[in-house]
Amino acid sequence: MIDGKAIWSLNAVPKQSVYGETLRKFRGEEYRRWDPTRSKLGAAIARARNSQYELLPDEGDTCLYLGAGHGTSISHIYDQVCGQNNVKQGRIIAIDISTRCLRDLIHMSQSRPGLVPVLGDARKSDKWGLMVPNKVDWILQDVSQADQCEIFVNMVKKFLKPEGKALLSLKAASERFSKDSDKEVFTAVREQLESEGFTVTEQISLHGLEDKHCLYFVRN
Amino acid sequence: MWLWYDWRAAAVADSDGNILDIEIWDGWKDLDALCSRIDIISNNATTPEAERLLERFPDSKLRIHGSADLPQADWPLPNHEAIEYLDKAAILLSKRGVEAAAGDPDRRLEHLIHASDELRASLLTMESRLVEWVGLFLPEARFERDRAGLAVKVTASENLTTLAEELNVSLPSTGPSQNEWVSLKDWATSVRDLGSRIELMENVIRELSSTHMPSLSALLGPILAARLSVEAHGLMRLARLPAGTMQILGAEKAFFNHLKTGAPSPKHGHIFMHPWISRSPRWVRGKIARMVAAKATIAARCDAYGGTAWGSKEVDEVAKKVAIIRSENPKPPMR
Repeated sequence: MIDGKAIWSLNAVPKQSVYGETLRKFRGEEYRRWDPTRSKLGAAIARARNSQYELLPDEGDTCLYLGAGHGTSISHIYDQVCGQNNVKQGRIIAIDISTRCLRDLIHMSQSRPGLVPVLGDARKSDKWGLMVPNKVDWILQDVSQADQCEIFVNMVKKFLKPEGKALLSLKAASERFSKDSDKEVFTAVREQLESEGFTVTEQISLHGLEDKHCLYFVRN
Repeated sequence: MWLWYDWRAAAVADSDGNILDIEIWDGWKDLDALCSRIDIISNNATTPEAERLLERFPDSKLRIHGSADLPQADWPLPNHEAIEYLDKAAILLSKRGVEAAAGDPDRRLEHLIHASDELRASLLTMESRLVEWVGLFLPEARFERDRAGLAVKVTASENLTTLAEELNVSLPSTGPSQNEWVSLKDWATSVRDLGSRIELMENVIRELSSTHMPSLSALLGPILAARLSVEAHGLMRLARLPAGTMQILGAEKAFFNHLKTGAPSPKHGHIFMHPWISRSPRWVRGKIARMVAAKATIAARCDAYGGTAWGSKEVDEVAKKVAIIRSENPKPPMR
């Protein structure tokens, strides 16, 4: 998957590039280049020191993605979790509030069985909680809301299996309290996560790839 | 005793997790039925299965699947096939949601307003090129009075001579070649068509805006009302804005410059386009803008929250107030 500096994922829909990324063949199989400037998860993998290989869900996992956007990251997670025609039997539930984003996600889901786009507000889990009947192995939240940390804590408590993986992509500019620097915001959030009883495995600053963002890799 | 339910089944168990009774719904292969089920549960209502069990066990505690206080039990969870159907229903529901977005007048107005802005911008540049172009060949002609009419005149002319006659100027010795004239005439045709296209588009905006926000359209005119609601990203958001924000909506650059550097604050944003403000003397514009913006927020709230639409009576009252402000301040204040 990782070749020098670039990250590649095995293309689940051969010959199709999702957002204009490079396709390349390695040993007869097609891979897609994961652009770290387009995807925060990609940026985190590029920047992580210790947990580079652990950040991603395992094959066949059930994943919950809050704030799915246009599906840039989702497409790579799909490559990892489901594979071509969902041979690995994974399930990705992608929640987003924007109908514009859902349009792209629905289009993507047509060639990707196992990807479930859901139109809804990430905060109102009783509206879509039904789509997540069992607890999931992996959660990523990327919502850029003022109470993003609280939403994350609630979601992890409600939907994550014990010993699951959870990732929080935090945008410092979205936090309402204005601290002197982004660093203080990041430390405050880390303390908040730890006070909830989670272990923060790694705090990855995305500086240079994504402005004022930080990704927390958390286990419950 | 606990009553557990999800979209497909309901069950009753005692506190030790022994299942006492189960009701299962098997109509989930019909996607439409499944979608309406999902709607029921999303609105925090109970399913028919759960209600039937609740009748049989009235003293059981009703909990939806996933609630934290439910005891561990062998609940009848959906099988793999049922989850596949649930996924299909989820995609169908999302599709419906996306389709419903097309019915949102706010989004339609947004495209219309931006499209007409873009058309107008290109019309103005093309029109000024046309004026310069014709002016090069007919240096005596003046178009300050009727720039828009020039395009029509050029399109109607056979050649430069007829155009010169039409404009009542003398023909200079050098003129364009035949092909050059054809290009010029083509250009004029597109200017003319662009003008009529804008008119058409603005009529559509007027129509949509007057039905979507009758009160605000009556007060400020449909185009301005549409522009304000697009600037605020939708009528519901516009209705939540305070009057001070409504007043300077569209003057964000000046406003933040004011906050940052202490420059004079903007007195009006898009609302300036209304003749009450733009046709008033400079020194009362701020006062009128403040009053009109306050009335506009009320009108927007009437539209957003289903109030009675404003008619000419309310608008006349505001117009009277505008006249009072104007008459109270006939002279510019002393510096």
